[in-house]
Amino acid sequence: MPSFSHFFETLVSNKGLFIDAMLLTLKLTAVSILFGIIIGLFFALLKISRSKILSFISDAYVYLVRGTPLIVQIFILYFGISGIFLIPDFWAAALALAFHNGAYIAEIFRGTIQSIDKGQMEAGRSLGMSKGLAMRRIILPQAFRRALPPLGNQFIIGLKDSSLAAFISMNELFNVATTLGSNNFDEMTYLLIVAVYYLVLVALLTIIVRLFENRLAVSDR
Amino acid sequence: MKMRLLLLVFGLLFTGLLSGCAKKDKLADGTELIDKDTFVFSASGEFKPFSYVKNDDLSMTGFDIEVGNAIAKDLGLKPVQKRMKFKGIVEGIKTGRADAAVASHTINPLRAKHVLFSTPYYYSGPQIFTRPDSKIKTVDDLKGKEVAVAKGSTYADTAKKYTSNIKMYDSDITALKALSIGRHDAVITDFVTGKSAAKEGFKIKGQQLIERSEQAVVISKDNPQLLKRVNEALEHLRKNGTLSRISKKYFGEDITTKPE
Repeated sequence: MPSFSHFFETLVSNKGLFIDAMLLTLKLTAVSILFGIIIGLFFALLKISRSKILSFISDAYVYLVRGTPLIVQIFILYFGISGIFLIPDFWAAALALAFHNGAYIAEIFRGTIQSIDKGQMEAGRSLGMSKGLAMRRIILPQAFRRALPPLGNQFIIGLKDSSLAAFISMNELFNVATTLGSNNFDEMTYLLIVAVYYLVLVALLTIIVRLFENRLAVSDR
Repeated sequence: MKMRLLLLVFGLLFTGLLSGCAKKDKLADGTELIDKDTFVFSASGEFKPFSYVKNDDLSMTGFDIEVGNAIAKDLGLKPVQKRMKFKGIVEGIKTGRADAAVASHTINPLRAKHVLFSTPYYYSGPQIFTRPDSKIKTVDDLKGKEVAVAKGSTYADTAKKYTSNIKMYDSDITALKALSIGRHDAVITDFVTGKSAAKEGFKIKGQQLIERSEQAVVISKDNPQLLKRVNEALEHLRKNGTLSRISKKYFGEDITTKPE
């Protein structure tokens, strides 16, 4: 284990590089979460639709993503389909992460939508709302509130999973740590530094999700 | 309604991606480059002193990098370095993420089935490294001992000849570090890598040099014209002393000429 003073000196003297890397990690996470939510909502709606085919498509997607390791998915997107067209480095990483997060988010949304009492939809319908409108105005807002805690969990997982983008040449936090570590023959110090960065990011993310939860809980009071 | 909107968004996204993709530039003599004015070469940046990053801006330097720059200059192209994890480099060359790899790849027949190798730009060889107090001296002592090597290197095959107990590490440096704190009995790696690690204060000792190997630039199979031009460039750099000058700068000796 490195001494505390050595750790602290290295932390301070490399802060420029690590902050750049952190910004890239944040960018990857933000893009992958945003697209993950869109993809997740899309497949959750497919899953609960009455069409057997649509529901099967959703099942197949969730099975494929949950059934293979994320690093395999990243490599396939980065190397595998580049024979057809070359996805830029950043987008290969971001889309792989988004598709991965999407499957888990789809399951979160499906679960919470189905947890809303049937009477809610029936009430909406009896007021003359179409099914789609009732879904949008009545079911989804309630479902989203219930989805927040598991979503927050998934966001944190997504943030940490972005470290796998290191393997396709993204200079995010983990990559910078391992590269500097092996260059200076001092891996442990740099890994500890990067752990601190992740802890700070996760703390921020936790606070943001909690703020949202409190805000949406206003109607409970 | 919502569904249709989402489908539309996805459709747009997908076509956006498709149209944003790079196509290779083709020069008059059939050489294919990612961009006609640049020579994009990759290295790991985790293989000191062959390639390592500068602490201030993460750009790479080292023996391989200077050779790559010299080749680019000789070709009349602007050198562009691309840092990739070592395991990913060959796949990156095959799929056009870089024009070439100047990353200390050892020539071997299995690899030659999938990529093209230039003429060797340096000569090296795997060596056994142990802790200073170890009883292991030669390959015969390795039998049954735990030997560590870096993933994606040819040294796993070398090690298999002498022991069945092999451990894979992400890089040579982690393997050597783990050796110095007693995690396994020996490491097989390039003698230059081991030597520079020992110089940095690792508690390790070099033992028998196992064999000689030739390191070369890696180029995609469907780009033979680029191979021809890189070989010509290497020949110029050998003749005008550039290669040997770079070698002396990093190693104090010339490792770019074939040992007798």
